[in-house]
Amino acid sequence: MTGTTQPPAVRMEGITKRFGDVVANDAVDFTLERGSVHALLGENGSGKTTLMSVLYGLYEKDDGDVFVDGERRAFDSPRDAMDAGIGMIHQHFQLVEPMTVLQNVILGHEPTDGGLVDESSARERVVDICRRYDFDVDRYLDTPVRDLDLGARQRVEIVKSLYRGADVLVFDEPTAVLTPQEVDRLVDVMNELTAAGRSLVFITHKLDEALAVADEVTVLRDGEVIGTVDAADTTEQQLARMMVGREVLTERRPRERDPGPPRLVAEGLHVDGDRSREQVTDVDLTVHEGEILGLAGVQGNGQTELVEAITGQRSVSAGRIRFDGEDITGTSRRRRIRAGIAYVPEDRQTEGLVQEYDLVRNALLGNQTVGQFVTRRFVDWPAVRDHAEAIVTEYDVQPPTPDARAGSLSGGNQQKFIVGREIEHDPDVMVAAHPTRGVDIGSIEFIHDRLVALRETGLAVLLVSSKLEEIRALSDRIAVMYEGEFIDVVDPDDVTDEDLGLLMAGRRLDAESRAGSETDAAEDEVES
Amino acid sequence: MSADDSGGIRDLLDRAAARALDLTVLERLALAAASTVLALCIGLVVVAAAGYDPVAFLANVFEGSFGDASATARTLKFTTVLVLTGVAVAIAFRAGVFNIGVQGQFVVGGFVTVVTILWLAPMLPASPAAGVVLMVLGTFAAVVAAGLYAALPGVLKAYAGANEIITTIMLNFVATGVVGYLVEGPFRGEGNRAPNTARLPEYVSLPRVVFENPDFSVVGFAVALLVVALVAVLMVRTTVGYDMVTSGYQQAAATYSGVDAKRTIVTTMTLSGMVAGVAGAVFAIMIQGYYSDPAGIGTYGFDAIAVSLLAANNPLGVVPASLLFGGLDSAGSYISINSDVPVQLIDGIVGLVVLFVAAPELFRMAARRTGLGGEER
Repeated sequence: MTGTTQPPAVRMEGITKRFGDVVANDAVDFTLERGSVHALLGENGSGKTTLMSVLYGLYEKDDGDVFVDGERRAFDSPRDAMDAGIGMIHQHFQLVEPMTVLQNVILGHEPTDGGLVDESSARERVVDICRRYDFDVDRYLDTPVRDLDLGARQRVEIVKSLYRGADVLVFDEPTAVLTPQEVDRLVDVMNELTAAGRSLVFITHKLDEALAVADEVTVLRDGEVIGTVDAADTTEQQLARMMVGREVLTERRPRERDPGPPRLVAEGLHVDGDRSREQVTDVDLTVHEGEILGLAGVQGNGQTELVEAITGQRSVSAGRIRFDGEDITGTSRRRRIRAGIAYVPEDRQTEGLVQEYDLVRNALLGNQTVGQFVTRRFVDWPAVRDHAEAIVTEYDVQPPTPDARAGSLSGGNQQKFIVGREIEHDPDVMVAAHPTRGVDIGSIEFIHDRLVALRETGLAVLLVSSKLEEIRALSDRIAVMYEGEFIDVVDPDDVTDEDLGLLMAGRRLDAESRAGSETDAAEDEVES
Repeated sequence: MSADDSGGIRDLLDRAAARALDLTVLERLALAAASTVLALCIGLVVVAAAGYDPVAFLANVFEGSFGDASATARTLKFTTVLVLTGVAVAIAFRAGVFNIGVQGQFVVGGFVTVVTILWLAPMLPASPAAGVVLMVLGTFAAVVAAGLYAALPGVLKAYAGANEIITTIMLNFVATGVVGYLVEGPFRGEGNRAPNTARLPEYVSLPRVVFENPDFSVVGFAVALLVVALVAVLMVRTTVGYDMVTSGYQQAAATYSGVDAKRTIVTTMTLSGMVAGVAGAVFAIMIQGYYSDPAGIGTYGFDAIAVSLLAANNPLGVVPASLLFGGLDSAGSYISINSDVPVQLIDGIVGLVVLFVAAPELFRMAARRTGLGGEER
């Protein structure tokens, strides 16, 4: 860290960015000190990438100021930002796979000699950069990018930014695609960069990485800055709590009757993710009739894959799933829908609704084999329309017409429609993944009421959420997932937020902390 | 490759894409009509610049497409085949599968029709009733053969990840080459100088009603319209169609709703190929009466792509779109005989129309695939 006389590398003041009626960044302040790593921590959709896209010139801000090296700047395009020394390492690499590393690095900024690309001087400069930062990229300059592993490709991206004169580097979730060894390597690279006076922004939702790499951590939630803390003075639990937050409106809603027999059971489940890395490791899970099982955890710890395996959208590599005692491990998604497993998907925009369809056609989504609407493969559209109208009325969807195009609805209304459609399936099991993410307060309460009502009528509900208060308010038991495993299954009355924070960060509760948790809980209540 | 090299253009494209994606059906129709007129206007300028009389040329275009009964029949002849191949393309495009192989499936269907009829004809008495039976059987064989020929790239895409655009294009060459060899050698009609199969028997032909032309029958046109109606019902009223169209719009949503993505790809390609097979059968029975080297039979399967794009991949829209292209084709063959305007110039003008009317729709599809105009679509 350098003295106080030097202006920070980047200072953003009061940045506001709206998309339609959604506020993605709300008066955000952010300061990146020279020669430091600043982590930007938050859930998906909390506004981290939006903020950096404003800095990088991809989005135009609605309000606020950006200062680079103390000078006020406005970037219309990434090229402007690049010229001012700001580079971005995207999550999906911007490399041309059949071209060599050297060609990729100099692409668009080729030194020329009489109209021809001057490869030798380009090579010299690139080798020079690699020497300076002790990178290995110069050893495979003539290899096509498609032959490199992902870690090496990322280093090529970094060299590309440095070649273009980047002084500030923004890393967008750089560890998402890397193996643990490659992550260690990246940390070394980042240290080299800061040692040479470069300033780095590290966008992530992983607590341990933020703490391991960053000097400072800024936590965003719902587009607002919750706080900026020194990495040295904070803990993973504190960060977890800042990230998921606590809202006042939710009070505990325990069940009114005892749970019945198990309905949904998973045994020894192993599930691979998209990049065929194992994301769920040996999970046992049971959801009883009349029970809400909450699945807590920081995003990206295997919850998505587990839910997709249960609902039939992803195959399991080992283990069994049973529904009412019947083995459904290998059955198709459609058979599971028919068997009575309803599913509110994590991603309502791409999965839950067809944006171009009106609500009538969306009401058929997932109902293609339901006899009420379909006779021998012929759709009874008037019946589907009636159904859509009923959902719109019953679940208070705005605008109140089934002819509205799904894509024109706000997030909360889209979600209410999906929740309505899935409940009207008359299911036996409800899997709700982040049912209130990005949803306004009123709709949150509404959806919570519905989930609780489902439980009271005897359904087995699996609720996935990364919001602690939601999990605590609704769940009868809480399973905490960390790196693909159930780190613990706890009774919400027996644990504090601190305990959950610890669990979510991968620390098992020992007997001592469990015993001490009751006094903590008492203190918590006094505080609030 | 990097996004920052083209900020201004990208922004412009983005706004244009957003606008294009928001167009209503009526706006799109108006756009297509305006594009056609504009393309014809530019074509007339080119005609004038080349030293020919543009007014006479325009008169010839109308004369040659709908001027008299014979011109109208010729237009409807082209239209009939284009409707069928156009619907074949539309089915696939609607479901997000890019079947560029309709030409090859069309060739396979036509050839199989002729071979089947020639093989079965000696077993039946030579009568009009036998003619009907043979035509039905020939068409059925074409539907099966072309359906299977299209299912192949479907299976390759679904289960081996092979890009269907590339495999269908390659299979076009295979179909043209193999059928070309077969009509030249093993299946060449006895005593034929040209590489053609034997002629179909006289009684295997569609009846001439209203029009007297030997190579157009209203019955053939009616068959095409019937296929359009069936496909439209399939797409809009059945769950099979719903699953296909949903897959085309949003694969993730289709999977969420229980659609088996792989099976849907194969189903889509098969259906598309089956319709291409009907097109081949109608072409073979109504227009040719035998089968010749497919390198010289016309590019109905490729023109169908422009037809489908102009129709916004809507089976019903394929009919007027085919009429436009059929009319232009018909005018082209009229003008090349009845005026001294070179045939290349006419082809060029048809090309202009294709370019003008298909480009906006192609842009919409590209926008949807690449996420231009807003990621959430």
